[in-house]
Amino acid sequence: MNKSEGFGLGFSEKAIDAYEVSSLTAAAHELKSPIALMRQLALRLDAGDVSPQQRRLIQQITLTSERALRLTSDLTRSARLEDALFELEPINPEQLCRDIATELAPLFEAHGRSLAVSHRAHPLLLVANRDLLRRILTNFSDNALHYSQPGTAVHMQIQAFTKTGTVRVGIRDFGPALSSDMWRALRKKLKHAPQAVHARPQSSGLGLFIASQFAEAMDGTIGATRHRDGATFYVELQASRQLSLL
Amino acid sequence: MTTILLVEDDPWLAELEADVLTQAGFVVVHSPHAPSAIAQIDETQPDIIILDVLLTGSTAFTLLHELQSYGDTKQIPIILCTNMAENLELENLRHYGVRRIIDKMTMQPDDLPAAVRKLLL
Repeated sequence: MNKSEGFGLGFSEKAIDAYEVSSLTAAAHELKSPIALMRQLALRLDAGDVSPQQRRLIQQITLTSERALRLTSDLTRSARLEDALFELEPINPEQLCRDIATELAPLFEAHGRSLAVSHRAHPLLLVANRDLLRRILTNFSDNALHYSQPGTAVHMQIQAFTKTGTVRVGIRDFGPALSSDMWRALRKKLKHAPQAVHARPQSSGLGLFIASQFAEAMDGTIGATRHRDGATFYVELQASRQLSLL
Repeated sequence: MTTILLVEDDPWLAELEADVLTQAGFVVVHSPHAPSAIAQIDETQPDIIILDVLLTGSTAFTLLHELQSYGDTKQIPIILCTNMAENLELENLRHYGVRRIIDKMTMQPDDLPAAVRKLLL
């Protein structure tokens, strides 16, 4: 069935959206198997006797497969958001950022970049679902990796906003500035999330769309700040009341 | 000698996994789908079954139900090796004989032999 047939049969726009989302999810699920197989084949090759140049290529295949698997996993996860209850708990975002930085270190290193976590003297706590927050921050980090200049460090930063009682976790990259037009379009679309957001040139914005859904499921928001030398993509969530005990 | 029944419908992945397990010293028999797995179980009486979830035709759950129907087959420990690991809870599957769940998306080549060895302890 294609989209126009759907309208002809009286499907609402929401139903069409649901159809598209379920198709996307089904496609993501189908892609998991071949990508996972490619990763396994690369790992197997890596165990053999190969030259340094071949090993580098194998590592690139492995890391790229893992990035694709993260995206397919996020897609299938986003489709189950409405069916699931999410346990929200107080989380130390700095610790979570450190875990993500450790996990992504080989990927960043392979691209000649690094991922650093800005340390806070006084730790903050926010209320979130650990899995969803991890996925959002990993997604932003993946995005930052591909838009930062070689040799630069992507920074994970945590800020508290006492007025709104929220904590913001941002991923700051140092790369080409977003044009004014692109920035206006991005801000407009971020305000109306969840929807597909064209975050950067050559990006479908799918990752950002998923991140906005995950944030919404935790009563949070995502946003972006433009800098002259890059951008910060952030998620903002309620601060934990345990904050006052610290 | 420990015999492992590998139920995996992707022939290349099955070849890869069988190779790793054979090199680790196990005897591996392969079935591409649930009906042939039933026949292999009767024939080879495996010590452990490594099972993919989304198989061609019947899924792993049909096979798990079938295995639980017989006194001898319900004792065989099962390792699920799947792309759906993040959707599954080991505790909910223990009564089907499932002892381990391995995530195909993150597994390392040594994970399968290591999981088999742990079950044999």
